[in-house]
Amino acid sequence: MEYMGIERDRLHMSWVSSAEATKFIDVVTRVTEAVRALGPNQHFVKQKAKVA
Amino acid sequence: MSEWEPKIVAFLCNWCSYGAADLAGVSRMQYPPNIRVILIPCTGRMSPKFALAALRNGADGVWVSG
Amino acid sequence: MSGYTEKMRDIAGRLLKECAVDMVIGFRKGTMPMMNEPCFVTKPEDVQSLVWDSNCGINLANYLANRKEKIAIFAKGCDSRNIVTHITENKIERDQLHIVGVPCTGMIDKRKITGMVAGEILEVSETENTIKVKTSDAETLLDKKDVLQQNCALCIHRNPVIHDEMVADPVQEQTDIDRYAEIHKIEEMETEDKWRFFDDLLSPCIRCYACRNACPLCYCPTCFVDESKPQWVGKGQDPIDVRTFHLLRAYHCAGRCTDCGACERACPVGINMRLLTRKLEKDCQEQFGWEAGLSPDQRPALDVYKANDPEAFIK
Repeated sequence: MEYMGIERDRLHMSWVSSAEATKFIDVVTRVTEAVRALGPNQHFVKQKAKVA
Repeated sequence: MSEWEPKIVAFLCNWCSYGAADLAGVSRMQYPPNIRVILIPCTGRMSPKFALAALRNGADGVWVSG
Repeated sequence: MSGYTEKMRDIAGRLLKECAVDMVIGFRKGTMPMMNEPCFVTKPEDVQSLVWDSNCGINLANYLANRKEKIAIFAKGCDSRNIVTHITENKIERDQLHIVGVPCTGMIDKRKITGMVAGEILEVSETENTIKVKTSDAETLLDKKDVLQQNCALCIHRNPVIHDEMVADPVQEQTDIDRYAEIHKIEEMETEDKWRFFDDLLSPCIRCYACRNACPLCYCPTCFVDESKPQWVGKGQDPIDVRTFHLLRAYHCAGRCTDCGACERACPVGINMRLLTRKLEKDCQEQFGWEAGLSPDQRPALDVYKANDPEAFIK
């Protein structure tokens, strides 16, 4: 996806065990910050057909 | 409209991250409200189609967690 | 390579007479120059229609998936690798096949040739290293290496990797080729430029799915683009739909594509979609040391787990 011009930080992968609530929160925060830094997704959105 | 907030679609494995989210909830921990959780039975259920569908429909980010 | 024709007819005739196979898959002359078509010979008396020259670019492995009969097939380097992929993916049994290996020196690109001569092309003939193109008012002699399909010019597996017999002695493999020069160039671009680059590349796409149909890897009974519940991707020419199609098509070929060039050859508007599949080929090679279809005994890279698989992308 990155190769095609979609920002790398739009897609995240992680591995959190069900006992790791703190890690979960940590990852949520990091993912949110990374996406916030990118700004809104403007390219890869299917625009609704414009009806006259 | 107020300041822009990212919308993130989170695909969480039933047994791992979904459990962690649940635990975070019952422990009353605070975390950013930007994620929209979709439960999948296992990360093996994930398909590239899902990530693309999320982005196509206007998500700002996708997070897959096992 | 056109010298192979006689030998091929002999082999096909022998196999059919002995009833060793039910069908031979090869090529016959098409109705237009440079357009050989696949042909399925079932009777020994029909073997005379078989030919071989530098216009046999279609990947014959495409016709093997889910066949039940015993088949003899002529296989170039790339075809043979796709046959191996079919065997590993259980689309056909090894003992159903009699693979006749064809050492290949590359297939010619009809678009390049059409662009190099003026007027309608009436006849194309070839020797080992040259191509003679006859139009209504002139004859042009071209160097074969100037008019090769790009994937053939970059080919490093010209000889079949699997065969029961060979039509001729193996040809020399090409070495010292940078298969990924273009890919490196794109990788170095800025995100915005990449986006624009692929917008330009894919903008002519008319969604005819010729690339999918020509591809030996695309044998799903229902392709994701044809699924309607849910509909993953729209059917029109919306740029995002076009991009989704090409992105996912390339992903489905990850670790399986042999860069046979069938997709690009089939494309009516000349899109070089191999820029996408080759990127994934390169990644597979760099991260897993995997090249598709070299041996039926190996499991594909995306099919096995190894403790040292790269995982830096996981948080």
